[in-house]
Amino acid sequence: MENQKSSTENKGLFLKRTLNAPIDLVWEAWTQPEHIANWWGPNGFTNTISKMDMRTGGEWNLVMHGPDGTDYDNKCVFREVVQNKKIVYEHINWPKFLATVEFDAQGEQTQMTWKMEFESEEEFIQVVKKHGAEEGQKQNVVKLDAYLQNMKH
Amino acid sequence: MKARRDVYQAIADPTRRAIINMIANEPHNVNSIAEKFDMTRQAISLHIKILTDCGLIAIQQRGRDRYCEAHLEQLSEVAVWVEQYKQHFERKLDSLENYLEKLKKERHGKPKK
Repeated sequence: MENQKSSTENKGLFLKRTLNAPIDLVWEAWTQPEHIANWWGPNGFTNTISKMDMRTGGEWNLVMHGPDGTDYDNKCVFREVVQNKKIVYEHINWPKFLATVEFDAQGEQTQMTWKMEFESEEEFIQVVKKHGAEEGQKQNVVKLDAYLQNMKH
Repeated sequence: MKARRDVYQAIADPTRRAIINMIANEPHNVNSIAEKFDMTRQAISLHIKILTDCGLIAIQQRGRDRYCEAHLEQLSEVAVWVEQYKQHFERKLDSLENYLEKLKKERHGKPKK
């Protein structure tokens, strides 16, 4: 019940992860376009980063290319960048949210938290609902794909 | 059973969320709910009706009072979607972890145990 409460009362997401790599490497993976392109975006996606100006007010434009050929535009503006500590960015096209990523060096490991805050709970619910619908649709595409593959063999 | 309203609609309104929060721990009667809000009793009754229609609250008659009791099982539908959305970002972190391992291997030969 508590979990439900926190997920429906908040207007965003909170993630926390201890990464098995020192802060310098984590920072590099987060801040250099050639690295971020390698891990951002769901499985099967590729990414094109046309701009990543990591300073306050700097723009970050990233397009995720879905396996079905759909492009997903992500336009962000950096609000705060503190080396090895913190990245705050605002996702300025839909869905609008403010993300705060914080890093805490712990020897050979790095703890990171990732908070995403939407404009309102209403907005968050809309996003979650739309994502759920899209996710359902994607699963259908995957199923169809698998089915067609089977037919070929 | 009544035609089910969309649970998202039900909780998309701040007053309705406040009502749910109010009665989540213990049932309240309709009057005491209405007193807490700076709006007409009719407006509160309508919110309560919407919440009742979608099954988030149930009304119990106790003597002359009507009590609202929370039935929050419906909210798990929303929680499922939230969880699914969260997984989307968790997968990004999985992918970051894998990538960091790869970088470590490239730079230091073997990964540290």
